[in-house]
Amino acid sequence: MPRQVLEDTLTADSIAADTALAASGDASAFERLYRTHVARVHTLVRRMIDADEADDVTQDVFIRAWQKLSTFRGESAFGTWLHRLAVNVVLARRKTVGMERGRFLADDAPLDNASGKPVTLELSMDFEEALARLPEGARQVFVLHDVEGYRHEEIAHMLGVVPGTSKSQLHHARMALRRHLER
Amino acid sequence: MNDLWTNRLSEYIDGELDHTERAAFEAHLATCGHCYATLADLRQVVARAKTLEDREPARDLWAGIRAGLTTDAPIPLRRDRLVRRRFSLTVGQLLAACLALVLLSGGGMWMALHSRGQPNQQVVDQSPPSPRGITVARWKVQSDMAIAELQDALTLNEGKLDTATVRIVRQNLAVIDRAIAQAQHALRRDPGNTYLNLHLADTMRQKIELLRRANALASES
Repeated sequence: MPRQVLEDTLTADSIAADTALAASGDASAFERLYRTHVARVHTLVRRMIDADEADDVTQDVFIRAWQKLSTFRGESAFGTWLHRLAVNVVLARRKTVGMERGRFLADDAPLDNASGKPVTLELSMDFEEALARLPEGARQVFVLHDVEGYRHEEIAHMLGVVPGTSKSQLHHARMALRRHLER
Repeated sequence: MNDLWTNRLSEYIDGELDHTERAAFEAHLATCGHCYATLADLRQVVARAKTLEDREPARDLWAGIRAGLTTDAPIPLRRDRLVRRRFSLTVGQLLAACLALVLLSGGGMWMALHSRGQPNQQVVDQSPPSPRGITVARWKVQSDMAIAELQDALTLNEGKLDTATVRIVRQNLAVIDRAIAQAQHALRRDPGNTYLNLHLADTMRQKIELLRRANALASES
């Protein structure tokens, strides 16, 4: 067996073993799961909300994962399950902090001036920074669709909007981001 | 510039225009430099999004999470949940753990034996025991004692578990024992192998955990 394939197999199965142990209350196994997945979760959270809240929300995601491990039935990979949980936590937070649907829909207008600075100065701006400056609604649709691969129907369902709104937000996000492509 | 088409460039990229719209857009594209250039930009944005990389948080968040696990009672402490999932989830999880152990064991042997070549048995046998070796030996004795106590307790408590659970626990213990035996066999050939020592320690720890869980289940029955 090629070494890389073997190592991948070992990784996947050690995650499965750690998931089982964590579900039985083993905090050390859960810490190993945290170490394996924290970059992915934190990056998702950081892209979808303000960066200064990303640490707190990431911690919340893992605590909820611990609490909900009994609902994980192994039908998908643990990472996939955790990722979906993270999306749900972020979107639930969006509701609790009062970012109601009206504000989401009203996000369109300032997109092209999201940076608040002359665009010509920012042509070389890091793509991640430009993404962070998008209005939250457009940013979340962009991250979910173009980065994470969700379909508009799924996004619309998660956000409580119609698919047309998701498409519109995505287009506006892309139009704003094209100004910040590294050239 | 045609606002109607500019606003639908993303739908074109994502293949969401119907056949008629697509044909009309492509006809327009052949004559509109603005739409052509914008389309190229948007395609770059889409491609760039797929190359973004994950980044670790700037600080370690585990301490805060660990504190949260302590204050929010772990799921296994909830007896009602435990009873409900005793068979369907616990057994599945145990099986997953065992499958992993089999692979870890086999893979571990493979990696250890192939990455270091043939060990020099004579040199190893003549080496005096190192302080680290003494520590490992002491740890092993303690683990063996813990396992023996837990196994004795399980023998007494086994009757409180249903037969399916007993069968699964025994099967899993057998798999773990095989993994331990393989690790010990490999360590006899290569006692200084750090990976093998860690692997053995981890496997024994998992055996202790399985025995502890089985005893806990029995005591709650």
